[in-house]
Amino acid sequence: MAARSATAGPSRWRRRGDLARFAIIGLFILFVIVPLYWVVITSIKPSNDYLTVPPVWFPAEPTIVHYTAALFSYRGLQGLVNSLIIASVSTVLSAILGTMMAYSLARFNTGGQHLAFWVLSQRFLPPVAIILPIFLLFRSWGLYDTRIGLIIAYTFMTLPISVWMMYAYFRQLPRSLEEAALVDGLSRWQTMWMVAVPLAAPGIAAASVFVFIAVWTEFFFALVLTSRHAFTLPTVFRAFLGFQGAQYGEACALATTSLVPSIILGMLVQRHLVRGLTLGALRG
Amino acid sequence: MANVKISGLHKSFGGVQAVRGVDLDIPDREFTVLVGPSGCGKSTLLRSIAGLEDVEQGTIEIGGQVVNGMRPRDRDVAMVFQDYALYPHMTVFGNISLSLRARGTPKPEIEARVNRAAEMLGIRALLARYPRQLSGGQRQRVAIGRAIVRNPRVFLFDEPLSNLDAQLRDEMRGEIKRLHQEIATTMIYVTHDQIEAMTLADRIVLLREGKIEQQGAPLDLFERPASLFVAGFLGSPKMNFLQGKLVRSGGAYAIDLGEEVPKLALPPGRAFNGATDGAKVILGLRPEHVGRAAGAQPAPGSQRLETTIELVQPTGSRSYASFRLAGQPVLSELQAHDVSGPGERITIDLNLPRATVFDPETGRAL
Amino acid sequence: MRPELDPVSVTDLATRGPLPPPARWRGGGALSAWVDQHFKWLMVAPAVLLILALSIYPLLFSLWVNFVNYDFEIPGHDFVGLQNFRQIVNDPLAWSSLITTIFLSLAVVAIEFLLGLGLALAMVRMFRGRGIILSILIIPLFISPVIVGQSWALFLQRPFGPADYLLSQLLGHPVNISWVGEVPWVYIAIVIADVWQWTPFMFVVLLAGLAAIPAHLYEAAELDGISGLRVLFYVTLPQLAPIIFLAVTFRLLDAVKLFDVIFMLTGGGPGTATYTTSFYLYQIGFQQFHLSTATAGSWLFLILLSVVIMVLVRRLLRAENA
Repeated sequence: MAARSATAGPSRWRRRGDLARFAIIGLFILFVIVPLYWVVITSIKPSNDYLTVPPVWFPAEPTIVHYTAALFSYRGLQGLVNSLIIASVSTVLSAILGTMMAYSLARFNTGGQHLAFWVLSQRFLPPVAIILPIFLLFRSWGLYDTRIGLIIAYTFMTLPISVWMMYAYFRQLPRSLEEAALVDGLSRWQTMWMVAVPLAAPGIAAASVFVFIAVWTEFFFALVLTSRHAFTLPTVFRAFLGFQGAQYGEACALATTSLVPSIILGMLVQRHLVRGLTLGALRG
Repeated sequence: MANVKISGLHKSFGGVQAVRGVDLDIPDREFTVLVGPSGCGKSTLLRSIAGLEDVEQGTIEIGGQVVNGMRPRDRDVAMVFQDYALYPHMTVFGNISLSLRARGTPKPEIEARVNRAAEMLGIRALLARYPRQLSGGQRQRVAIGRAIVRNPRVFLFDEPLSNLDAQLRDEMRGEIKRLHQEIATTMIYVTHDQIEAMTLADRIVLLREGKIEQQGAPLDLFERPASLFVAGFLGSPKMNFLQGKLVRSGGAYAIDLGEEVPKLALPPGRAFNGATDGAKVILGLRPEHVGRAAGAQPAPGSQRLETTIELVQPTGSRSYASFRLAGQPVLSELQAHDVSGPGERITIDLNLPRATVFDPETGRAL
Repeated sequence: MRPELDPVSVTDLATRGPLPPPARWRGGGALSAWVDQHFKWLMVAPAVLLILALSIYPLLFSLWVNFVNYDFEIPGHDFVGLQNFRQIVNDPLAWSSLITTIFLSLAVVAIEFLLGLGLALAMVRMFRGRGIILSILIIPLFISPVIVGQSWALFLQRPFGPADYLLSQLLGHPVNISWVGEVPWVYIAIVIADVWQWTPFMFVVLLAGLAAIPAHLYEAAELDGISGLRVLFYVTLPQLAPIIFLAVTFRLLDAVKLFDVIFMLTGGGPGTATYTTSFYLYQIGFQQFHLSTATAGSWLFLILLSVVIMVLVRRLLRAENA
């Protein structure tokens, strides 16, 4: 990103400006880190360190007992495994379907403005508008509380992200490579997978990471469409509602477990962040 | 190997007509060059033959088979692109072998073919490298290798040498010509460079604004251009064009350029399409046919006159001297040391039997 | 011959032409040709079918449900006309949820915009360590909203949460706010949680927009003698306007769906004070199982949102094609 000042001015302003800038940045960093720190530290505090005034910022005897409790007594492990499976499969499916559609839109302008508009607008559909009928439909189709059901729902939910991020990447590819492949004797299907997709791979990878994070962190669909078998990690937090005090550690342990992959993946796609957040409208 | 036949081809993009009614017959094994200024439709024509563009009207036949609507892969043609279009994520071996891999050719056969093609082009040592590690000339060879490994019926070249520097271009030109002698397949080559056209072609097809202006052997087009456009396009430096009137006395024709200059007598026996006496015409004479007077008498049909040189442009092997004839500029080709400089009086022989007379309205040769 | 190419003599070439053409296509044929011809439609078909199945079809189904009595407690699906809609419209909680939703959405988006802009302006100039700071600042974007809700519930806990303690230290006198149990603090709590998570979104998008402003505009301003805050208002913001529009509408459309944080942080409470529309409809549909009523409410909500969605999506498409 370019480095430039948005407010020009003589040098004494610069110094004051610098102070203000770093103050703002510093405050925000604190704002971001402190709650996170609190969650992580609570996950390793022994229980009697919870209810203290002043609060304990670093426990004298850190423990991992909450992690084991969260994973096994509160079925956190099952939630974790379900989330992993569901997120992974949804990501793959979303990537495949999204790639196919993005390629078609990018190369052939299929369906013109209308199709593009329709797919894009799905991103903004409030889940509450379709959750009730989907709930009923899933029940009648036998998909309620199944991993497959959630996978289908999440693939649908993340299509706009996949399609729109990859669309931008496909548009940038020079046509002559694909033309060479066609003349060489490849079918369009082969051309897409053997020439276009490998070249768009960075974009596809970035889009996939965004999809994974979206599914990993999703709550509403999982809440409504699962029960005792296919529940995901975010839904396990329901068990900690009400905060009777005894479960702070477990709740935070689970939170930390969910946080770590999220954040690591997020760091990986930093460069594509603006593109992912705005569905490709901005390059960043 | 196959011949290519195009009948009544029309193709437009949006509202713009790129190809308007082209008929072309290319016999098997011939090297045909489609040449013309940019926008003349040559690339469109080539891409239509490849199947990369759909045609609205007309038919394309390869080897007697109508290929309209057939996918490129089914037409069994190979194409070499201007920007080489090498797959950056594959090695040279991968690039060349892709077409074979895609159709399920067994591995030993793939190896044999790729090695054979690489050997022919002298790139065997590069098979494990990636396109980004290659120079322009090497990439071009890989692109050609990709084409020859399939041994297609027709080779198509879309301005393959435009991205190379001049020295490399000369060298690759020779290679392509030798390739044609070597594998004797129909080749259709598109370029805007008339030197490439002249040196490579068995037959030149000169296109202008979507139509064929003239086609034939290079020397035919060069010595007997059918129009002003053809005459001006081929040959460097350009042909001299002089405006005058065609006059007739007795059975002989002559060009009248005005009072200051004697009439230029044209050789007898030429009909000039029954042009009327006094009609406005353009006389075309190439600089190499305007030279220093040699011998006591001019050669039969040539005309001798005296003039003053205005400008001299030496190119090393030749020098080009400009002078004026009835106020119109004329370029003549002289030996390198044969001229001293501007202001020199010189005697010139005009080799009129080699001249072409054009109708200024239609641009056609008479 | 250039040195890097093998020397090849003409006689060599003459004796070694290429092999005859390879075998005909395997797997070519009519099916392959048909696929190629309809390729573009075949490629969009699976995605389109999925969207039809999970978006259009359910919407149509729910359209029917709107006018019918679909209640797990009452048997049969009798046609009831507009009764479901009337029930929603007559429910004061539906209205208060809507107002809460609008109020909260506008509040969070406004605050996120201002903070995000400030942060973006502060970060736009390069400095050492900027990359690391950027990485830290975007962390909240990748966290599950339920975790955000829960974390803030924990942090704002009374009486043992650090928030009250820190405030006490800062202000010098004991602070004992019941963040989750008292209006108006509970609204502030929700706003804080949402702002914590989504300000980085605004920040990142606005930063990208700022970086794209051409330097010569600032140079011209400097020559003209404009400085300080006026540059901000006369140069920066006008240039940023389309990006601001994009970011604000994007965020707004997401904010009105507010559910996860409400669920974990307040549970709609105290009482029903923090019911948002999504939470309200969830309660009606899945806790009380009045499915038709909930569906009717969802439709009304969707219709309200559609206008904003259409405007934003059109804008996005135009930006993409530019």
